[in-house]
Amino acid sequence: MKSLTLRNVSKTYFDPYAGAHVTAVSDASLAVGQGEFVSIVGPSGCGKTTILNMIAGFIPVSSGEILLNDQPVKGPGPERGVVFQSFALFPWKTVLENVGFGPKMRGLPKAECDKIAREYLALAGLADAAERYPNELSGGMQQRVGVVRALANNPEVLLMDEPFASVDAQTRMTLQEELTRIWQERRPTIIFITHDVSEAVFLADRVIVLSKGRVLKELAVPLPRPRVWDRLIEDSAFKALSGQVLQLVRSA
Amino acid sequence: MTPLLKAWSLYVRWTARFPAVRSIVPFIPVVALWAIVAASGLFPPVFLPGPADVVRSFGSLVYKGILPDYLQDSVVRLAVGAAAGMALGIPLGVLVGLNARARNMLWPILLFFQAIGDIAWLPILLIWFGFSLTTMTFVIVYTVLFPVVLNTALGVRSVPVELHRAARSLGASRARVVWEVVLPGALPNIMTGLRNGLGFGWRALIATEIIVGTSGIGFLMFDARRAGSVVEILLGMIVLGLLWYVVDGWILAPIERATGQRWGLVTQ
Ligand SMILES: Nc1ncnc2c1ncn2[C@@H]1O[C@H](COP(=O)(O)OP(=O)(O)OP(=O)(O)O)[C@@H](O)[C@H]1O
Ligand SMILES: [Mg+2]
Repeated sequence: MKSLTLRNVSKTYFDPYAGAHVTAVSDASLAVGQGEFVSIVGPSGCGKTTILNMIAGFIPVSSGEILLNDQPVKGPGPERGVVFQSFALFPWKTVLENVGFGPKMRGLPKAECDKIAREYLALAGLADAAERYPNELSGGMQQRVGVVRALANNPEVLLMDEPFASVDAQTRMTLQEELTRIWQERRPTIIFITHDVSEAVFLADRVIVLSKGRVLKELAVPLPRPRVWDRLIEDSAFKALSGQVLQLVRSA
Repeated sequence: MTPLLKAWSLYVRWTARFPAVRSIVPFIPVVALWAIVAASGLFPPVFLPGPADVVRSFGSLVYKGILPDYLQDSVVRLAVGAAAGMALGIPLGVLVGLNARARNMLWPILLFFQAIGDIAWLPILLIWFGFSLTTMTFVIVYTVLFPVVLNTALGVRSVPVELHRAARSLGASRARVVWEVVLPGALPNIMTGLRNGLGFGWRALIATEIIVGTSGIGFLMFDARRAGSVVEILLGMIVLGLLWYVVDGWILAPIERATGQRWGLVTQ
C-alpha cells in the first residue's frame, strides 16, 4: 500500500524584482510506501527543501498533486511531522513543553502530555534536560529535541530536512544510529533530506537522487538492518552503493 | 588600606543581600553635591532649598495626605491609560504584524497619527471634552498606544516562519499559533513598546495634569509654582524619578528577566 504519492509535481516561484519565474521543482513523481525510509539527495539548490515544504503543506504546488492515503494534501497537518534544519524549537517553552506540544494540540490533559514527552525524551537520552529551555542546550541536544518533538506526535509521515547537518561528525553518527533504531521500533514513513551521500545510504531503504528539480534516479538499498557504523563503514556493498550515489550526485 | 578593603567588602556583601543598595549608592554623591551647593549660600534658599527642606516638605505633605492622594491619582490614571493602551495596542499590533493587507492599509495611518504627539492633541481635546478626566485619559491612551502597536507589529514579524510552520505541523490551529507562538515570540518587543509607552505616557500625564489638572503630581508641581514653593516643585520632580525607578525595577525588569532573557531571545 502506497502511503504518499507525488504525481507530476512542479513548483515555480515568481521573483517580482527580476520579473521572472524560477522553477525549483519540475515534474517530480514519487511513491513512498507506508513505513518506508526514503532519502532524497542532491546538490544545493536542486529543490529538496521545496519538495519537502510542499509535502508538509507549507507551500502550495504549482501543478501536479500530492496525495497522502489518496487524500490531496492541503496545508500542514499533524499526520505529517516535520524536523527542521534550524531545529525550530519554541524558545519560550521548556524541552518538556516543546516535546509535549503536539499532544497538547490534540487536546490531551497536561499530565498526559508530560508523560508522553518524558517517555520520548528518555528514548533520546534527554531525560535530564526536560526542565531546561532550548537556549540552554547544545546544538546536538536541540536537534534531538526537534526529532523527538516530531516523533511524540506519532505522525504517519516524518519529513526531515537535513536534520543532522549542524552537528559534529561523531554526534551525527550516533544520531543516525538512534534514528534507525527508533524507526525500526515504530515504523513511521520517513522522508529524509540530505546532501551527505553516505548518510542517505546508511539510513534509507531507497535513495532518490534529485537534479535541477527533477528525479534523476532511484536506488534501492538492500543492506541488512539494524545498521551500525562500526560494521557498515568497511562494508563493500555499502561502499559500492555510496560510490554510485556520489557519482550520480556529482554528475547532477 | 584595611579599612578601605573592609568597607569594600561590606559594600559587596550588602549589595549581594540587598540589590536595592546598588541603585541607591550612586545617588549619594549627587545628593551630597546638592546639599553642599544649597548650604553654600550661592543661591538664596527660596530658589534652591537643600535636601533636608525637601524631606521636611515630604513629611508634611504626606502628613496632610496631599502627596499620597495626588500620587494615587497620577498612578491610577497612568495604570488605567496604560492598560487601555495595551488592550487596544497589542491586538492591533498582532493584526498589523500578521496580515499584509492590514499592514498596507494601517501602517501609513499609524505613522501619521504617531507623529501628532500626545500633547499636540490637547488644544482640540480641551474644546471637545473640556478640562476633564476624559481629556487626560485620551492623551495617555494615545501616547501608550503607538509604541505598543508599532513594537508589537515589529515583534510579530520577527518570529521566524519556521516556528509558525512547526506549530502548524504539530497540529496547532491558526488561532492557537497566535497564542502559542506569535505572542510569546513578540513579547520582548511588546515589553519594549510598553516601556516606551509608559515613559512617554508618564511625561504626557504630567504635562496634561499641569494644564488640565485638579489633582496629581503634575498639578502639585504647577500649583507649587503658583505659590512660589520651590521645595514642593523639587519634591514633585524627585517623586517622578523615584516612581519610574519603582515601575522599572519592580515591574518591567523582573518580567523581562523571566521571559525574553530567560529564553535567550534577548541578551542580558
Ligand atoms: N521563496 C523562494 N522564492 C524564489 N525562489 C526560491 C524560493 N525558495 C527557493 N527558491 C529557489 O528554488 C531552488 C530550490 O531551492 P531549495 O531551497 O528547494 O533547494 P535545496 O535543494 O533545499 O538546497 P540546499 O541543499 O541548499 O538547502 C533554488 O534555486 C532557490 O533559489
Ligand atoms: Mg534545503
